[in-house]
Amino acid sequence: MWKLSSGVFMGWSLGANDSANIFGTAVATGVVKYGVAIALTAVFVMLGANLEGPKCMATVGGVSRLTQMAAFWCTLATAITIALLTYLAIPASTSQGIIGAVIGAGIISGTADFSKLYKIVVCWLFTPVAGYVFSLFLYRLLGHLMKTAKIGIARKNLFLATGLLISGCYGAYTLGGNNVANVTGVYVSSGMLSARLAALIGGLSIAAGVLTYSRKVMMTVGKGIVPLDPFSAFITMLSEALTLHVFTQLGVPVSSSQAIVGAVVGVGYAGDSRTVSKKMLVKVGLGWLATPLLAGILTYLLLKLTVVFL
Amino acid sequence: MKVKEIMTTRIEQIDADQTVFDAIEKMIERRIRSLVVKFPGEDGADGIVTARDIVFKVIAQKKNLRQVKISEIASKPLICVDQQTELGSVAELMEESNVERVFVRDDDKIIGVVALLDIMAGTLIMRARGQNVI
Amino acid sequence: MLFSKYFSRGKKEEKVLEKIRSHIELLCKACELFSTALQSEDTGSMRAIIDLEREADGVKRKIISGIYEGAFLPYLRPDLCRFVETVDDIFDMLEDTAFNAMSIYLPHSIREESFRVAFLNSRMCEMLLITFDAMVEGEDLRERVLAIRIYEKKIDDMKFGILCDLRELAIDSYWYGKALSDFVTGLTSISDIIEDACDHLQIIHLSMR
Repeated sequence: MWKLSSGVFMGWSLGANDSANIFGTAVATGVVKYGVAIALTAVFVMLGANLEGPKCMATVGGVSRLTQMAAFWCTLATAITIALLTYLAIPASTSQGIIGAVIGAGIISGTADFSKLYKIVVCWLFTPVAGYVFSLFLYRLLGHLMKTAKIGIARKNLFLATGLLISGCYGAYTLGGNNVANVTGVYVSSGMLSARLAALIGGLSIAAGVLTYSRKVMMTVGKGIVPLDPFSAFITMLSEALTLHVFTQLGVPVSSSQAIVGAVVGVGYAGDSRTVSKKMLVKVGLGWLATPLLAGILTYLLLKLTVVFL
Repeated sequence: MKVKEIMTTRIEQIDADQTVFDAIEKMIERRIRSLVVKFPGEDGADGIVTARDIVFKVIAQKKNLRQVKISEIASKPLICVDQQTELGSVAELMEESNVERVFVRDDDKIIGVVALLDIMAGTLIMRARGQNVI
Repeated sequence: MLFSKYFSRGKKEEKVLEKIRSHIELLCKACELFSTALQSEDTGSMRAIIDLEREADGVKRKIISGIYEGAFLPYLRPDLCRFVETVDDIFDMLEDTAFNAMSIYLPHSIREESFRVAFLNSRMCEMLLITFDAMVEGEDLRERVLAIRIYEKKIDDMKFGILCDLRELAIDSYWYGKALSDFVTGLTSISDIIEDACDHLQIIHLSMR
């Protein structure tokens, strides 16, 4: 049972960190109160995790055959990697981390199935692209509708406020559905938990992170992101959620941060402005490569050590 | 819209026996394109001299600015309308008479002038108010 | 409690918009009053303008507190407040000009044109109200904004003429001269501030896509 602790820890840090992506801008600009935001996020993350979480679990565990010990080390290594990269202010994806870790474990046990990686990596590459495409399309479509339908500003204001709220809830839902596999997926393949139970525990740990530790990141991220107008913020969130939802159906856990980056670039392009700097893109690319590599190497080392000492 | 709402009330005038040079000086200084010409004696029989008159009838003909008198190039009589006239009617009048400005009268006194630009401006204001024009 | 905020949201905004409209209506009333009072030399009516300004101040305060009690997305609030403050500035200028008008008699050379400027100011205020209504409905503002600019340009053209005539007057008392000068300056600046208010409306319109 204690082996679940690393997963719970990872879920908690994922909740604390990623929830900023969802309601960050809304809270920082005062559209939604912090308390309301985290309550909604927690509820919808749980919903998403339990309803759609199991879909991605097979992918996470399927890359290599894991023992219960290996499952523990994988999540721990990933959690440490994420913590380290967060400290270095490099965006880190839990999805990529956990896959790297599982590969690392697989290399040791000799069960690493690299053929499964192709589908996963392709999905990773397409995540920001999907975010971009969705946001470009939605921005143009909804923008055109808003312009031609002569609604007064009071109505437009209400539409945007509810839009931000709903897209936030949807974002939380898809985050739970897509990323819970990163947290507890390894325990399913190593036989410790059923998919349902893993989803429940994973969802709870993420919700716990959201409720207890997300304030600081939410305020920093929310204020640091390009000050998007409410409409762009709405489109960005909706596109990110749609991207994650699509990849959940494909069974692959992807990075919500990268989906958002793609969406923000798309919104900027649609609005004829530069919303993302080259410097930021470089950092994102760095995180891309660094996360799975570091997690994999760390897992490999940790397992090797336990094999040596235990 | 009645003309009195959109007319320009500042009218500059010049005596008929002054020279074209005097007229140019006044026009440039006040940044206007026309002057009411006051003929001596006859009351109400005012004329008008425009920038067009000066350029076409004097400068292009290479005549001496200091010698030609206003009375030689001014047009008479002034085309006037009552201050309560509707803008649309004034536009039609301008088109029929082929003039670019029309003067506004209150009984015997000239109280303003309406030019092409004023017609356009007034039309736009009516549109903005939702008064169905064009 | 959580969602009541969202269900009543539309109402808060409508209330604020109603108040802003009545604020502008007060302004139109005051400008109209000023125009007639100036022509008929009615000091009683001039004084009433000062009362109207005080009433408008109260309305303004209600609007601002209404906005910051949670109407509209935070993104829009500063622009809305800026607009309301500008309308308040117009009122202040009108009040000052009315006060000066009561202390002077209008010299003959600038009488007619002063009446005309006051009349056009009144028309501009009406157009500002029309523009505000259009903005609230989500309509295109281009034509109305252009109409306001037309009025402003007309007044601007007259301003220099009035100032030139003013400077040719013989003034016996410094304070009379000052009041007269302040009156003319105030009268001709009202249109500039109305144009500024109109620009703020444009900004609000554009920031809502």
